[in-house]
Order: sequence, then C-alpha cells, then structure tokens
Amino acid sequence: MRFRLIIDGYRNAYENMAIDEALLFYGRPTIRFYKWRPSAISIGYFQSMKEEVNLEECRKQGVDVVRRITGGGAVYHDEHGEITYSFVCPKNMLPEKILDSYKLICSSIAYGLHFLGLEAKHAGINDIVVNNKKISGSAQTRRHGNVLQHGTVLLKVDVRKMFSLLKVGKEKISDKAIKNIEERVTSIEKEIGRVKEEEVIGAIKRGFEEEMGIKFHEEGLTKKEMELAEKLRGKYESKEWNFKR
Amino acid sequence: MKVKNGILKGELKVKNGKLIKCTLEIKDGRIKSIKLTGDFFMHPEEKIEELEERLIGIKFDKEKLENIIFKFFEEVEIIGASKEDFVEVIIKAR
Repeated sequence: MRFRLIIDGYRNAYENMAIDEALLFYGRPTIRFYKWRPSAISIGYFQSMKEEVNLEECRKQGVDVVRRITGGGAVYHDEHGEITYSFVCPKNMLPEKILDSYKLICSSIAYGLHFLGLEAKHAGINDIVVNNKKISGSAQTRRHGNVLQHGTVLLKVDVRKMFSLLKVGKEKISDKAIKNIEERVTSIEKEIGRVKEEEVIGAIKRGFEEEMGIKFHEEGLTKKEMELAEKLRGKYESKEWNFKR
Repeated sequence: MKVKNGILKGELKVKNGKLIKCTLEIKDGRIKSIKLTGDFFMHPEEKIEELEERLIGIKFDKEKLENIIFKFFEEVEIIGASKEDFVEVIIKAR
C-alpha cells in the first residue's frame, strides 16, 4: 500500500478541519501530521458547543473553537502539547466494520509508540493507553466511499488548563478531581521525558509501515485539495456550523 | 428532570460506551422540541437531525419512542451506545 505523507506543521483550527474534509472527499491514501496555532478546542459532531465549551474562557485565553465532522468528545489541542494525525483512504482498503478499522489504525499507532519505549496499546473503542492511562483519542467518519480517521497523541498535558476551557462541573475542578484525571490521562513527556516531535512522527510512521505494510512518499496537498479546503474553511469559521447543536 | 422554563434534561453514561444527553420540551403530552447530543458516534452523522425531526410532534410514550428509534437505527450505525440507550435517555429527561 502506497500512502502520501504530509508533514504539515501549524495551521489554525478552521484550516485543519477544512483540509481533513478535503482529503476525505478525494480519498487519496494519506497520513497527515499537523498542529494547531492558536490552540483550539474541537468538539464532536453531536456535541453542543454551549454545553461543552467555556466560551468566555476560550476568548480570554485566545483559544479557537470548532465543530468536527466526526463524532466523539471535546478535545483541547494545545499549541505545544500534542501532535494530530489524519488518516485517509478509500473504504475498501480498510476492514468493513468501523470498530475493526479503529482497531487497525489505533494498533498501528500504538505499535509505533513502542519504538519510543512506550508500552502503548489500543483500548476501548478509539483510545490508545499507556499503563491504562489515555495518551491518544481518535474519531472516524466515512463519506464518498472514503474513510477519515483523525486523532491526537499527547506530548504533554495540563489538565487544569484543559478543564478551565471546557464546561465541567465545579466539583470536577477541585484539586482532588484534577488529580483523579491526571491519574487517567498521560502524555509522552510524563512517561519518558521530552521527545522531539520529529521522533514521535517517525515512530508512528514506522508503526504504520510495519503493522499495515504502508510505504510512504512525502508530498503536499494537491491543487484541487487546497481549493476545496479553502472553500470549506468558511463553514468551519461560521457560527451556523459551530453552534448548530 | 426539569431545568427551567419547561426544558427537561437527561443524561446517560453508557457502560463501556459514551455519554448521551437529551434536551427536551413537551407540550400537551407531545414532544415539542428535542436535541440528542453527546460524544457517541453515528454514521452517517447528519442523520441525527433527521431522527430529531421524526420525534417532534409524537406522543410522549415509550412504545412510540421505541417504534421510531428502533426503525431509525435499522439504517443508521451507532457506536458507543445502543438504540435502547437512546430511548432510555429520552425517558430519563422527562
């Protein structure tokens, strides 16, 4: 299997979501690694923006908010705290069952994280855990005969900051509750110290190569993909989309 | 559970699954408005709006809810929750 590898660096939330949707539309086998600047909260397709996100605090801290086309939960994408990936290909290149395809993609990433010395494994529906603590979450959608799965791998995590941006009950922001979450979530830095981002990407890439037999060639977006992403960006910037639920 | 101005809310954390929330208004025993939100997965995603539309105007009654919801999930895939969970969260909201 030949896949395009896009190492994309920083973009804002609206561009990132528009590009993932454009990649899904054309369905060219691709793995894209990217980051978010400014930091942003993305919510799942079915979530209510007002119920999930502390919009006032996001505005104060300069954090963007965006609704994804994929389901799942609210995620805080810290500018310096994570690497995001998107995986796109035609449906027929993956197991037909959605749960099986989560398993294949998440296990490949988990396998890749082993090369950094992390005991990572796929857990639940769409998580990757290290010592039973969540280090990565993903979400998948299928359209136009193609699959998009995007997800994050935590480089470092600040639970207190994350909670200040999300609407969680006051009792959940207590020191005890934060400690509790800190015991359920981890990051690469927390497990093995600081690792260069290129090394993390290299390890995940190797995971895909060895688990799924993917051969990569590095390439950018096509002109068509860029044009479509440019059109879609307006949707992701719009109140109609972001506040529709 | 009543919140305010006649708006009802219910939440259900599915065991080994996701969270579903329901915001509901009932008028004269019928569903006036309904929103089903949460961190579950549904494919195709935009079908959720269709489900909500189908539920508006129906008599609030378990059997009626089951009829509509079970039929809906014959053609829509749900991950992290079941069709029974959707019925339950709506009943809980009341």
